[in-house]
Amino acid sequence: MQNVDAMNIADEPKVNYLTNGFSLRSWLLTKDHKRIAIMYLITVSAFFLIGGLYAATIRLELLTPQSDLLESGTYNRVFTQHGVVMVFFFLIPVIPAILGNFLLPIMIGAKDLALPRINLLSLYIYWIGGALTLWALMQGGVDTGWTFYTPYSTTFSNTYVMAVGLGVFINGFSSILTGLNFIVTVHTMRAPGMTWFRLPLFVWANYATALVMILGTPVVAITILLLAIERVAHVGIFDPAIGGDPILFQHLFWFYSHPAVYIMILPAMGVISELISNFSRKKVFGYEFIAFSSIAIAVFGFLVWGHHMFVSGQSIYAGLVFSFLTMVVAVPSAIKMFNWTATLYRGSISYDAPMLFAFGFMGLFLIGGLTGLFLGSVGLTVHLTDTYFIVAHFHYVMVGGTVLGYLGGLHYWWPKMTGRMYSEFWGKISAMLVFVGFNLTFFPQFILGYQGMPRRYASYAEELQVLNIFSSAGAAVLGTGMTLPVVYLIHSLVFGKKAEANPWMHPGLEWRTASPPPTENFEQMPVVTWDAYSFGEDSGLDIEGARERELAKV
Amino acid sequence: MAHEHDYHPPGLQHQFEDMEQQQDSVTLGMWAFLVQEIMFFGGLFTAYLVFRSRYPMAFAAGSNHLDAFLGGLNTLVLIVSSLTMALTVYYAQKGNRNMQVILIVLTMMFGTTFLVVKYFEYSDKYHHGLVPFNGLNQKIKKHAGGETEKVEKSSLVLPFETRAEASEAKSETTAEAVHENPRGEFQWHDAKGEKIVHEAQKNNYLTPYERTGYFTNGEYDNAKFTQKVRIFFYIYFVMTGLHGLHMIVGLGIMLWLLVMAWRGSYTAEYFSPVEISGLYWHFVDIVWIFLFPLLYLLGRHFLAGGH
Amino acid sequence: MQSNTWIPLFPDQASSFAWQVDYLYFYLILISIAFSIPIVAAIFFFAIKYRETEKFATPDEIHGSTTLEIAWSIIPFVISMTIFLGGALVYYNQYRVPEDAMEIYVVGKQWMWKFQHGTGQREINELHIPVGRKVKLTMTTEDVLHDVFIPAFRTKADVVPGRYTTLWFEATKTGKFHLYCAEYCGLNHSGMGGWVYVMEQNEFDNWLAGGGTGQTPVEIGKDLFNNRLGCASCHAGGANQRGAKLEGIWGTNAKLTNGQEVKVDEDYVRNSILNPSGQIVEGFQPIMPTFKGQVTEEQLVALVAYIKSLSGNTNATSMSNPAPSTPASNTNTTAKTAAANSNK
Repeated sequence: MQNVDAMNIADEPKVNYLTNGFSLRSWLLTKDHKRIAIMYLITVSAFFLIGGLYAATIRLELLTPQSDLLESGTYNRVFTQHGVVMVFFFLIPVIPAILGNFLLPIMIGAKDLALPRINLLSLYIYWIGGALTLWALMQGGVDTGWTFYTPYSTTFSNTYVMAVGLGVFINGFSSILTGLNFIVTVHTMRAPGMTWFRLPLFVWANYATALVMILGTPVVAITILLLAIERVAHVGIFDPAIGGDPILFQHLFWFYSHPAVYIMILPAMGVISELISNFSRKKVFGYEFIAFSSIAIAVFGFLVWGHHMFVSGQSIYAGLVFSFLTMVVAVPSAIKMFNWTATLYRGSISYDAPMLFAFGFMGLFLIGGLTGLFLGSVGLTVHLTDTYFIVAHFHYVMVGGTVLGYLGGLHYWWPKMTGRMYSEFWGKISAMLVFVGFNLTFFPQFILGYQGMPRRYASYAEELQVLNIFSSAGAAVLGTGMTLPVVYLIHSLVFGKKAEANPWMHPGLEWRTASPPPTENFEQMPVVTWDAYSFGEDSGLDIEGARERELAKV
Repeated sequence: MAHEHDYHPPGLQHQFEDMEQQQDSVTLGMWAFLVQEIMFFGGLFTAYLVFRSRYPMAFAAGSNHLDAFLGGLNTLVLIVSSLTMALTVYYAQKGNRNMQVILIVLTMMFGTTFLVVKYFEYSDKYHHGLVPFNGLNQKIKKHAGGETEKVEKSSLVLPFETRAEASEAKSETTAEAVHENPRGEFQWHDAKGEKIVHEAQKNNYLTPYERTGYFTNGEYDNAKFTQKVRIFFYIYFVMTGLHGLHMIVGLGIMLWLLVMAWRGSYTAEYFSPVEISGLYWHFVDIVWIFLFPLLYLLGRHFLAGGH
Repeated sequence: MQSNTWIPLFPDQASSFAWQVDYLYFYLILISIAFSIPIVAAIFFFAIKYRETEKFATPDEIHGSTTLEIAWSIIPFVISMTIFLGGALVYYNQYRVPEDAMEIYVVGKQWMWKFQHGTGQREINELHIPVGRKVKLTMTTEDVLHDVFIPAFRTKADVVPGRYTTLWFEATKTGKFHLYCAEYCGLNHSGMGGWVYVMEQNEFDNWLAGGGTGQTPVEIGKDLFNNRLGCASCHAGGANQRGAKLEGIWGTNAKLTNGQEVKVDEDYVRNSILNPSGQIVEGFQPIMPTFKGQVTEEQLVALVAYIKSLSGNTNATSMSNPAPSTPASNTNTTAKTAAANSNK
């Protein structure tokens, strides 16, 4: 217990991880998971910006029914590159590689990830894959759709399919190595007393994600490698003209790419568990159920890839089985939703910016999840698949889920990562703009989709213009909401209020070290004697003191 | 970073509390890595299974052009190398530096032997136009006089050629002389393919895919059969190529181990690099244990004839 | 026709199973609302009622409730099963092609749709069909994946190179409806589409009469069969011919030399023309030459239509069964002789 008290409010250390060396070398050759996370933060944000510019271009083009701003060849490149950049270089790495990398070791009381050099290697692999992809995009880009369906990608496209494919292939290993590192770290690096059921749910979520990363990513890696070889050598197994089977490609591709959506959403769910618990100052309702539902999603996620192929000509039985399994995988997500809501019950709820992002997540993920049921219901999907309905659905999950989870988490842990408080006012504005703009952008697309507007269309039927204008207008609001944080977060680095070690009075280990933490995370090895999210007495936090300091400030 | 409790065992990295934790971590890390390797090769095995179940005859015919003796030899070599690797780990745990060095050298020798044999096998394919990638086969032109001339001669052919010819004479599969192949394309000249297809047709072995996949003009069509054989060689080259790449990486690891062992870095307390390298090495061997029967042996009996 | 409202909210409902898809859709919307309202209401209620009153308060811990967890696992599961079953039923209707459907052949290529009616009319990017008739599309593509999508009919299906896929619908409403390609196929993907015109039967007949200058596929197929490809030299005539008799075989099961049974359908006939010795019918020799490279996809479609018509499966027009014209005297023809992939 004296251990706990000693760590209650850590004295500000002389040297934290940011001030421990300023040379370029001390960054590029660092083994510190926190510095690696910061470098990921910068690169992933750059990719998010690129992907966002593509998205803006798409919405501008779709203002009018004709393909007038961009001719269709350019438009095809733009949406493909939007997909490739966003999926492989933003959504997949964003939460695990930034927040997970930074927080996972601290949350379990470790000095670092178990394999710091592998962690640095994964960053370099990400850079190499990203650089190759960017190079290809500058040379002329790629127009196959991010799904790289054969035989178009192997035989018919005249664009840089191979370079982008190799970029994605290389990048896959970055994600594999991150996943591997997380699994090992959670198994072997937990501090004394940090039992499995004391792990924060963010750690559980990242653990489940890591399982998907090491089991799924290699399959898409080999598939894309085979595609690249086939494209160069004109021999292979996907093009029917040379004896192959294009449907086999779809099976192999979705065997990874469906679980990949869980790589994107599971960590965000973990963040939301943390946020809701912290800002209602309550233990998460049904902790075990949320933890196991993450694992269940990771496992069942591997059994539903066929629901991307309902109209590909697969047999009726395959369609029915995959539809059934898709319905099953919906249940763990529903469990999470209910538990988060129940966590609010009898809490002490404050509306700080991260909590607003979390509320936004709950609303958008609710819609995203429910429309997932529409698409899992096979008879309805025959009509809906490959339309804007599906575009809207996965943006609700990917942007409404992952991006809001990420932004919420980034704000929440910003004081820990940088030692500065973000601007609460602008944070709230941003959260609300994102929520409103998002709904304005993507809700009309559900209606467009049911109307039958197919996706990946540069020009569309004239009667659909009004809804498309709504959507593009919403995108402008959404874009503003997403750009704001870049400004005020960077601003806070210099002008922000200095953050305390534990501005939220949260019992988690990451709040029991200085902000920003020292290089080895803790001055001394923490011993955990409390359950996750025990805001009460047994956390040993000096809440009275914090309250007084809070009052003194006012 | 500087702590008062500072007995720091050699080899213990800063993030770990003790050797045991480090040992557990790196071992689990290697296992997780191997799991992803299994999934990686799993994609290829899936492709193999799908196409073999569709075109078993073409796969058998292609398989018959692999040298089962060399493949078997390589299997043996790898199994023995696994033994020496296991012994390396054993002696590393004992802290016996000399035995470690000897056994690592032996393991590397076996690994190199494997790659050399593999090189001979590949160059056999190169000379017979069996590399599925056009342009990567030996380019052979025929003069007006009818004499064949090798346009491009691999500098390393000599030791192999005798071996290949000997095996040719023995294995009676490719009886023909060198075929004209000015652009180094994939070629298929084995009449046995046709024979087994007809045999299979007579005995109703053909799969539905084969029934439409081998025939033209109501007859066996060599071009279409060749296409399927080419898929076999494509899968063969991708799988053994990636396996070979893993072997090369393994040899690199061995070289590093050798240097470290030479310096006496590994002791009874600190031997996990040897152990996890061993895991990797065994894994690469096991992949071969699957590749060998699937690629070299399965379906050979179709061409054995004489029963 | 699209609705005339300023903002179109709902597509036309113009096929026999469109209402089923729509009801499923409404059912799901209903469930979504029923599911969302309590959650959203609870979130708002809790967020307001339990808002922070004291900084860093420590409300009582609530660990969880297994009863509740079980309840909110099982109830969503049961609901999701009703959705699954509803979807499965609708899917079954969409998937199962009725026997008596009028057949239209579709060939997709970058970036156009080619349709050919049973009566010979060819159309590009336009499809005229009569109202109230079951229509079956038999589709293939010359290059990459495509997908026929008619939103008003609430159905779509991928078109895959190297094989036939099918799609059926029965239009219930006259009008002009969108036709799209819904599987990304390259440069002009968004231009690959057009209109489906659903007409009254008599208008449709007029249209056929007016526009139908071309031969019907069955006629083209007959010409190919008898004259241009010479199929008749082996396939017409009595039981002693080298090739199998083709009359009346459509839809039956053919017994192959290896003892397997194959249904005589589009794919089988197509394969038999392109890869004759692949599936030889019992009692025949594998002597038929392939016609791969000699017939186009459209001619194949015509041949299939003709062979189908030999079994009395004519579509829009009444075709008399052609009398077997060439007698069995054609002994010494070339390699291009016999074939027989089917008998009765």
